[in-house]
Amino acid sequence: MGRFLLFSLKRAWQGFWRNAVMSIAATVTMILMLVLLSGLVIGLSGLAAGLQFVEQKVEVQAFVADGTPPDRIDALRAAVAAKPEVAEVTYVNKDQALAEWQATLRAQGKQDFTTATGRNPIPASLRIKLKDPHVYGDVVDTLKAATGVITDVLETQRVVDALLSVTGFLRTAGLVILALVGATVLFIVVNTIRLAVMARAEEIEIMRLVGASDAFIRWPFIFEGMLVGFLGAIATLGFLALAAGPISQGVATLVGQVPIEFDRDLGPRLVAIVGGTGLLLGGLGSFISVRTYLIR
Amino acid sequence: MTTTSTPDARVAPRRTGIASATPSLPPARDEALVDGMDLADPRHVSLALQDVGKTYPNGRKALVDVDLVVPDGDFVFLVGPSGAGKSTLIKLLIRDELPTSGTVFVAGRDVARLKRREIPRLRRQIGIVFQDFKLLPGKTVRENVAFALEVTGAPGRLMRPAVDRVLALVGLTAQAEQVPTQLSGGEQQRTAIARALVHDPRMIIADEPTGNLDPLISWEILQLLLRINELGTTVLMATHNAEVVTALRKRVVALEDGRVVRDEVGGYHREY
Repeated sequence: MGRFLLFSLKRAWQGFWRNAVMSIAATVTMILMLVLLSGLVIGLSGLAAGLQFVEQKVEVQAFVADGTPPDRIDALRAAVAAKPEVAEVTYVNKDQALAEWQATLRAQGKQDFTTATGRNPIPASLRIKLKDPHVYGDVVDTLKAATGVITDVLETQRVVDALLSVTGFLRTAGLVILALVGATVLFIVVNTIRLAVMARAEEIEIMRLVGASDAFIRWPFIFEGMLVGFLGAIATLGFLALAAGPISQGVATLVGQVPIEFDRDLGPRLVAIVGGTGLLLGGLGSFISVRTYLIR
Repeated sequence: MTTTSTPDARVAPRRTGIASATPSLPPARDEALVDGMDLADPRHVSLALQDVGKTYPNGRKALVDVDLVVPDGDFVFLVGPSGAGKSTLIKLLIRDELPTSGTVFVAGRDVARLKRREIPRLRRQIGIVFQDFKLLPGKTVRENVAFALEVTGAPGRLMRPAVDRVLALVGLTAQAEQVPTQLSGGEQQRTAIARALVHDPRMIIADEPTGNLDPLISWEILQLLLRINELGTTVLMATHNAEVVTALRKRVVALEDGRVVRDEVGGYHREY
């Protein structure tokens, strides 16, 4: 087994460099595909994190007009809290709201302009948590009906829906593009290995005649395909490691207010996904090639 | 020694002494018996063909009703004009092709019944030598010979002694580190023979091994094959070389239009 592995890996390595141009072309396409794949994984997981963040926050936020008497606010709060769909209603006064806003700005490293205005521009609000984030009942209508008290109602579900549709679109478009690029990679690997098989036609004939088993004849080619995937994965992961900083900053600017926190295991997961896909695709391509061009 | 041809002679396992003197040969086809010899008995028979026919998909009949028994230790010339079926016969023996009818036994195994994974093991019992040597140009003599062991997963510690042994046998110890382009035709063919021998095969099948060599070198190769035969390995050599065949007075099996037309010791009556 040890000799078999040594032999196969050695030949795979030789085979890779024997037709270096083709092998490198295959590896580069593989990298392209794996970068796309990682982009999709990172994007989707970022959006999922954002979604979770938004969903666990208040579901409905009603902004209270400045100068509303406290008893009117209390009445409205009691009325909303009495509804069966509502789990909790919190009142956030202007000072609290300002402090929160300033904290968010500091966290994102942005300048705080609120001190320059001389008065607090942030409205007080009622924050309503629902028992089921998707069941609103007439909560929103009740709030909107309180004219003079409530200036605006922000339904987080709207944001969630928007995020969901972005996620859905990204997933579908990403998968379609990924499938196309994946198929291209597969074709290129098949062709690379086909050339490798042809370049070794004489050796393969001799191997057959001297009684080499099928495994000795086939596996070096499978390994050669997997080598394309392996090198592609290494390059992709190296690129991602270098680009990790700029990417997360870019994402933060893009998404803005929603603080995206990636899962802790995103790194290991990416390594597994990228490495696994590379090896699998390379192995599959060469397997197809070996099946097609090495029959007998 | 008779030099007349017996047209329907099928089998002549002379060395075993089993050969019948009866000219009308043998109805003994039941079971795997020809001339009273058990074809499937791997103890004495290197290879045996029983009623073998081979028709290619394009309808060409390459072999028709071929019966042939080659006992262990035999030296057999396979002669016949181009297209007579010599190459087809060799392809059947190494199971590159399967017979359309009849049975081919090699080392006691019916090749048609071999499982796919058993074929490589069968081929290790056959050392095969070609007219065009089939050496790998990028490898030295030693590496070419070792390649046969390497690709069959032979343990590394056994490789060097085995290669040294066969290189000494074919007289190429001094050229071990040269590549084929640095060798003469004869040396290249001896390298190929060394490679064929390195598995310690039961038989050597040589397909026109002297076809690309001048007469003097051809004799060298033949001497080598005779020596290998004396050491106990069966040799089946397909050839056009009438001079060699006539001079050696070994068993000659002649094929014509896919049939065995002669099987006897010595003599090479026709120019093919």
